[in-house]
Amino acid sequence: MVDFTQYVPKKKAIFAHICPNCGEKYYPAPMVCHTCGTRRDPTGSKFAEWPVEELKGPCTLLTWTRLTALPVGFNDRYLLFGIVEFPSGIRASGLLRVESPETGMKLFARADVVRTNRGTPEVGLVFEKSKSRVSGATGATGRNPEVAAQHS
Amino acid sequence: MVAMELEKELRAPQLQMTPYPPKSIILATGETLVVRQARKEEAAILLETVYPLIGVARDYYDIVAARMYSELLGWVRDRTASEFVLVGAIDGVIGGIVTSRMMTEKIGISLHTITIKRGLRIGAQLFAAKMEHHIEYLRQDEVYIVAESPIGFRRWMIEYGLKDLSGEYPAIQHELGGIPTYSLTRDLYFSVKPEKVFGTRPVDPSVLATADILIAPDEYPQIPGFRRNES
Amino acid sequence: MREVAVVGIGHTAFGNLSQYDLVDVMGYSAMDAVDDAGIGDHRRLIEQVFVANMGGGILNHQTAIASSLVSRLGIEPAMAETVENGPASGASAVKTAWMAIASGMVEVAMVTGGELMRSVTGWEATDFVATLLHPEVEYPYGLTLPGFGGMFTRMYMERYGLTERELAMVAVKDHQNGMKNPFAHVKVECSLDALSHDSESEAANPYMATPLRLYGMCPVSDGAASLILCATDSPAMKYFQKSEPVRISGIGSATDTHCVHNRKDPLHLKAVELSAQRAYAMADITAKDISFAELHDAFVILEIAISEEVGFFERGTARKAIAAGDTTISGKIPINSSGGLKSKGHPVGATGVSQIHELVKQIRGKAEKGRQVKNPKHGLAVNFGGFGNNVVSTVCSKM
Repeated sequence: MVDFTQYVPKKKAIFAHICPNCGEKYYPAPMVCHTCGTRRDPTGSKFAEWPVEELKGPCTLLTWTRLTALPVGFNDRYLLFGIVEFPSGIRASGLLRVESPETGMKLFARADVVRTNRGTPEVGLVFEKSKSRVSGATGATGRNPEVAAQHS
Repeated sequence: MVAMELEKELRAPQLQMTPYPPKSIILATGETLVVRQARKEEAAILLETVYPLIGVARDYYDIVAARMYSELLGWVRDRTASEFVLVGAIDGVIGGIVTSRMMTEKIGISLHTITIKRGLRIGAQLFAAKMEHHIEYLRQDEVYIVAESPIGFRRWMIEYGLKDLSGEYPAIQHELGGIPTYSLTRDLYFSVKPEKVFGTRPVDPSVLATADILIAPDEYPQIPGFRRNES
Repeated sequence: MREVAVVGIGHTAFGNLSQYDLVDVMGYSAMDAVDDAGIGDHRRLIEQVFVANMGGGILNHQTAIASSLVSRLGIEPAMAETVENGPASGASAVKTAWMAIASGMVEVAMVTGGELMRSVTGWEATDFVATLLHPEVEYPYGLTLPGFGGMFTRMYMERYGLTERELAMVAVKDHQNGMKNPFAHVKVECSLDALSHDSESEAANPYMATPLRLYGMCPVSDGAASLILCATDSPAMKYFQKSEPVRISGIGSATDTHCVHNRKDPLHLKAVELSAQRAYAMADITAKDISFAELHDAFVILEIAISEEVGFFERGTARKAIAAGDTTISGKIPINSSGGLKSKGHPVGATGVSQIHELVKQIRGKAEKGRQVKNPKHGLAVNFGGFGNNVVSTVCSKM
């Protein structure tokens, strides 16, 4: 029997993993819980996969930078990056879609496409000022939409 | 008599061009770069400065220098329409040269940028000065730009967010021929100006005086062991 | 364990060497070390070669470089392996060679670190270095090492009040030293006023990863450096009479979390602190005994932060020492007499080896005029891998 669900577009989401034994949360997931030594098996064949928790929602900006001199695959004039902390204590790096960031700023995290790699969209965390999407030509990337469209 | 009449025919038409007001920029070494418009009487020293780089294949110096050499000749011999040349000099020694021209009243054609003294962002400053002249002083709406090297593509097409016109080839093509044409529009220029265009005006007269007589550089980092008298 | 000394050193110029072959560039530094050791006719004394290289496979389409180098130098059947630890490959290779000799497995080993990064465009080189970041939660965003340098700098400035002018002082000092180093890539004598933040400095010193500016970052460089090591109690020492041997008295390394965001305090460079403590313990010294240091200033903020983590200054106070000139050649604790990565350059695989080359040169009293440290007894090198997730510290001492 064919599992047709594999063709359903995956929901854009980023997950933290939770140790089933001690409850320690991780992002990214380790192979072994650093606290209690419980093993994680991504194949689910030898050990159980760990439960996950979606990373999204309110977070606090710990530090940020506006980066020019981007690597291969990025034709933006600049990109803004930040490290945030969620109320659970989990931290994450991601793309800042805020034009004038400030350390300590309260932001909202959600998953979105952050790059297209060989035609495949890659999903990551973006941090915005509010729940609604930031619109606008240059947003917080210095991206000329015409150039971006031509080079994506 | 015939030759004089022919010369009149052969001379390129010249649009009215407002002169570029000189400015000074402090470099990382603390030295002052004076950016000003070159005069046709200075063609000899400019040609002498560019010539040795025709033999440097690395980083596309050879093609840029060869093309700029011909652009300088076209400019001084009145065979190119509405061309201007800007030079950046430190204590009179030429650090870099840019060439460009007005294709029409409203559209400019960026030609070339060459940097002799590397590592101080002189090329970036001179390119920006060229764009400043096109948009702010010559009051053009758009400048067509191409890049011969990957570094040029990165510095201009990407860092300025230039508009890609390659889809409109051959109707729109840069006169250097055969390479994707990009455009700096007036709006794009003013959006990047705070990050790209620098300098102080007016230039202190004593500083401007240092750039009154241009001097060809004695050293070329691109040509180890270069000696001017032996070139 | 046996005592190990550096008995030969070699170095190429750092800069744009992209017209040459990678193994030729490495070979040049290796023969330089052979000549310095005085074993031109006896190079087959080298029983083991460790090559430090990060990008050969990605940038230059070359792998198995150590084997290639052995053949290039005609020293078969010497044992040979390549060591890769990101930007700390060099010091890791030295550590591996030290272990091979100290354990008694070999008498004489050579370490060659080299990289050719300018054979590709700047953004390809940036991307290659970024591959050391976490492949899922850091790399896909377009984050780069300079990006983390910028975020680290911001946190440091906000916590300790460091100013952009104080950051620029480090760059000015490094460039002053680099001007006197014949190997240095960027020989530009910088002006503090020109680099410091004001409306005019944006032209000379634009932001690259705020608040880090262009002159807050090392260049992309090509180059190689080599060391020849020997056990001091080996009969082979009789061949190494040409140049003064210098002891490797302490080596330590440590790791930290792969992801910067997982560190409890991202400003606490634990791996630096621990690796230095381990090296000091092996050398039976403390930070106070260090005469001078080569600290991994891929971003000038790291020279400041590392100098605190290795115990030269209390956290947050290095800026006072910088302002007082304590880290200049004539200061209390000269740092980066070579010009550091900032001015000398950073061919990633070569850097750790180059740092120890500088320690040896200084201890021998053979540094160029104007950058020779006075009476150096113990030198410290810190080679920073990843963004501080794998760090190797080495102490060299006068015999």
